Amino acid sequence: MHLYEVLRRPLITEKNTAIQAPQGKYAFEVAGEANKEQVKLAVEKAFKVSVTQVNVMTVPGKGRRMRGRWVMSPSWKKAIVTLKPGDKIELFEGV
Amino acid sequence: MKVTREKTENSQAFLRIEMEPAEVEESLEQSYHRLVRKASIPGFRKGKAPRAVLERYLGRDSLLEDALNNLLPQAYDEAVKEQEIEAIATPSIEIAQTDPVVFKATVPLKPTIELGDYHQIQLTPEPVELTDDEVDTVIEQLRRQHATWEPVERPANFDDLVALDIESHIEGKPFINQQGVQYQILHDQPFPVPGFAEHLPGMKGGEEKEFKLQLPKDYPRGELAGKEARFKVRVSEIKQQRLPELDDEFATSVNPDFKTFDSLRERISANLRLMAEEKARREFEERIIEAVVENSQVEFPPVLAEMEIARLLDQQMRRLQASDIGLEEYLGRINKTGEELREELRPLATKRVTSSLVLGRIAEEEKIEVADAEIDAELENMVQSATENKDEMQKLLDSPQARNSVEQILTTRKTIQRLVEIAGGSIDAQGK
Repeated sequence: MHLYEVLRRPLITEKNTAIQAPQGKYAFEVAGEANKEQVKLAVEKAFKVSVTQVNVMTVPGKGRRMRGRWVMSPSWKKAIVTLKPGDKIELFEGV
Repeated sequence: MKVTREKTENSQAFLRIEMEPAEVEESLEQSYHRLVRKASIPGFRKGKAPRAVLERYLGRDSLLEDALNNLLPQAYDEAVKEQEIEAIATPSIEIAQTDPVVFKATVPLKPTIELGDYHQIQLTPEPVELTDDEVDTVIEQLRRQHATWEPVERPANFDDLVALDIESHIEGKPFINQQGVQYQILHDQPFPVPGFAEHLPGMKGGEEKEFKLQLPKDYPRGELAGKEARFKVRVSEIKQQRLPELDDEFATSVNPDFKTFDSLRERISANLRLMAEEKARREFEERIIEAVVENSQVEFPPVLAEMEIARLLDQQMRRLQASDIGLEEYLGRINKTGEELREELRPLATKRVTSSLVLGRIAEEEKIEVADAEIDAELENMVQSATENKDEMQKLLDSPQARNSVEQILTTRKTIQRLVEIAGGSIDAQGK
């Protein structure tokens, strides 16, 4: 797969913003078929930073009842990227 | 905060207030704390979003706007204090630039009133004159009101009352069609069409007549203006006006209280005199006020005139409501926009503000005060003159606001009274 297809969107949540500044960790939703190496390359290329560590996990879809039937929201893959100390991704920093 | 006073004119101070970035930052921080509690941002519990996220979510400008809205009144107060000026109404403030933040405030100041030497004003009231002619006119009117109509067998004449069948067309369409209308033939009667009445004299009972008339250009029904109307008129009855004799009997018929014609005449003449005196007194007062105002130098901020205009408009609105016409309709009828109406009221409003300011100052100068007893008396008077709901009126007037406004009215009245005395010469220039 192409590098540009790896990163889906940044995840900006309360928990993620809490670990950004102190730990230099940024979270993304990534393509399900992407692996750690691809995420690393994609982040380094997109944001001109160096990545020291990538953790990925699959977030299972959640079921809910809809019109009397049980439907599942899709599972997706989350990647938490640790940057070299001092590096920053502006996208998360506000305007 | 840096405050500079750019200029002062028309009793308005123009202030330029420049905020220090630190002050703005502090206010921004406060705004953030206030706004974050309400903003629900996906991914965050309420009140937990960091400032950067909130700023991005709401936009930096809206945060700044909130901050400035809070900062503004406070900064304005301080600026006014620093400049040692006294504002009498809310200022108009605009934000000139945001980096650094600069406000421009236009502060209405207390009006400056320089009274001229109003003790020098000497005016004499116009003498009231009542001629016999005026009395005669009123009597003549009464006579017409009490006239009787008797049928006559002769061609119609002016001042006669005729019963008419009217049939008329404009370009083939029916215009006025009425049977048995009572119509008094008067000179220059504009109804139903100017010139209509002139066609009637000379007609006999039962006679028919056809004629054409050109409708005037300013005929109220615009679509018909300037068109030609064909009239077919039938006179069925002619009545002559019989004016009552001016004798004691006539006087009694007007009002049983009058036994003789002379007493009626006397009463009319007395009433007319009273009215004329009242009118003369008002005119005299107005002339004095005008003279005093002319003599004084008054400068006030435009806000006051605006407020007066608003009050005048409000009064008009209330009158309109009473007659069941909406503002839109009224504006349409007089063919003006609200803006034009305001402009039209401006000179009047300016005049009223000026004279009330001058009168207020004179009241101070002359130490005119109204005693509580006088207010009570006036309130009592108002209650007594109320035709119905005396209790309600009593309640309405039994509030501090009502007392206040009555006090003001009385003060103004007394001030005018004093001015009349001064100008009329009953108090000499030293105010003794």
